Amino acid sequence: MTLHSMLTWLRFAVANTRRNRRRSLVTLAITALGTAGLLLAGGFALFTYQSLEEMAARTTGHLIVAKPEAFSTEEDTPLQHGLDDADALTQRLLADPSVRQVLPRVEFSGLISNGDKSTVMMAVGIAPDAEFAVKGPFVKVLAGRVLDNSDRLAVMLGERLARSLKATPGSSLTLLASTTDGALNAIDVTVQGLIATGVPELDARLVYTDVATAQQLLGSKRISSLGVFLDRMAATGPAQARLQAAWPQLAVQTWLDQAAFYKSVRDLYNRIFGALGLVIGVIVVFVVTNAMAMAIVERTREIGTLRALGTLPRQLLQSFAMEGMVLGGSGALLGSLVALAVSVGLLIFPVEMPPPPGRTNGYPLQIAIDPSLYGVTMLGVLLLSMLAATLVARHTVRQPVVDALAHV
Amino acid sequence: MSAPVLVLRGVRKTYQLGAHTVPALQGIDLTLQPGEMLALTGPSGSGKSTLLNLAGLIDQPDAGPGNGEILLHGRRVERCTEVEATLLRRDAIGFVFQSFNLVPVMSVADNVDYPLFIAGLPWDERRRRVAQMLAAVGLAEHAHHRPDALSGGQRQRVAIARALIKRPRLVIADEPTAALDSHTADQMLALMRELGQAEGAAFLVATHDLRLSSRCDRVVHLCDGLITDISSLELAA
Repeated sequence: MTLHSMLTWLRFAVANTRRNRRRSLVTLAITALGTAGLLLAGGFALFTYQSLEEMAARTTGHLIVAKPEAFSTEEDTPLQHGLDDADALTQRLLADPSVRQVLPRVEFSGLISNGDKSTVMMAVGIAPDAEFAVKGPFVKVLAGRVLDNSDRLAVMLGERLARSLKATPGSSLTLLASTTDGALNAIDVTVQGLIATGVPELDARLVYTDVATAQQLLGSKRISSLGVFLDRMAATGPAQARLQAAWPQLAVQTWLDQAAFYKSVRDLYNRIFGALGLVIGVIVVFVVTNAMAMAIVERTREIGTLRALGTLPRQLLQSFAMEGMVLGGSGALLGSLVALAVSVGLLIFPVEMPPPPGRTNGYPLQIAIDPSLYGVTMLGVLLLSMLAATLVARHTVRQPVVDALAHV
Repeated sequence: MSAPVLVLRGVRKTYQLGAHTVPALQGIDLTLQPGEMLALTGPSGSGKSTLLNLAGLIDQPDAGPGNGEILLHGRRVERCTEVEATLLRRDAIGFVFQSFNLVPVMSVADNVDYPLFIAGLPWDERRRRVAQMLAAVGLAEHAHHRPDALSGGQRQRVAIARALIKRPRLVIADEPTAALDSHTADQMLALMRELGQAEGAAFLVATHDLRLSSRCDRVVHLCDGLITDISSLELAA
């Protein structure tokens, strides 16, 4: 088929869609709404995935370096599977071109007491300045301030834990934990700040302190793991392979290996939005099929005439596919523009979403504008429309010419 | 004498209406010469339309031996495939319908151009031939009008132009003047004869219109699927 002939068929297709303008407009509007729905739902899912990826990588680092047992076996005593000589390892890791920062973590549990009341804590020893420089404001400071490298024997407490212990900035508390030898150790600390992570269960147990304080309490110079932060997300895979090859005696996991929440949300959203996409796809097919079926029944006699004049069935099918393409393509284009406008509108006029289940903080509703999502969705709607038109026209264009000409 | 355009030998066609078998054509023999205009007359249900359908390759005689042969320019066509029949219709047969059957969303020029377009002729040649044909039928000024903007006579002229633009060997016309007033019908007939002779096309015309049939070269009268009478201008003279 030459370009000129294709353009001629396209011209006829456009003219045919104008025969019944109201019906075509309704079809176009529903196709546009379906496309916009797919793009907005897909964009919301993408934005959620991107946010969760970022959050997960920010929490643990793009890569986590530890002894293999630390990922596979429960410790009998604190830091049993910890890393020795973390400073030297950190310096060597920083020599990798894509490594931006390496943060030590000492994770432990124990009791925290105000003298009258003791409760369970989940504590993390961090390098405060580097931690907050790399992660940014990943916690909300409700009172006091965040830790810095000059602080010793100081802690930040989760909001609900602080409330339970009636602690405020400046309060003195006692941390109790088993040392690596199995003995019970205690140190007095001062509260520097109260924080909220947005997860109430975590805020009821969370204690941040500096690495040195944690090591003093546990009686060890080890750390639990090193969080490796890279210059970009896409460097994760290659960097993992490189670091794993350089330190075969250690285990190098990616943020994704530890992001159980991210994976479960992604699985859930994929199913929800997949089902939504399927439903919208079926609606688009039905709408286009219905419009084309009515158009084809009305034009049966004309189809008979065109067949009598020597038009091959495949030429007529091609013509109807083009009509489907014009309807579906216009709807897809209009729907994309609507989705784009809504996405941009949400950037200009932010809408706050309520906190998700198990969280205390809401989040801004945003829709990712992803060119590949737009491309795939528009192409999908276009192909579905063409397929629907072709399927519904198939019977009529192949019926005997005599019958088609006699159609009333 | 040149080879006939169309030959029908012993053609039979029956229709099944519920439990009843209705014989539409009962062994028709007919020959159509190049440039000839043959009128098919007869009452409703006599088999005129069935004969046109078979001659125009949009239907086939009854299956099985002894149900007749159809030759189009010497080629047996009664059992050709659907695609072969479509291509023969496209290249060798023109149709003029009683109710014009123009495509309403196409302009007059597009309607006339359509047979050349589906035949894949180059755009320049199509444009030239369409312009010539529209001038010949007196519709050059209406080239870009839609059919619904034309009178009945003008529409039938478009239909005739569409049938003749591809220079067919055979033109099938089913009651071409039925929807026209007598003056316009005369004009259409004159036009068909003039253009048909110019292009060398033979016409097979089903009609109830005595004025039309009286101006054809031959008149074949059908009744109950049988040819009951054949008259010609020469015989009449």
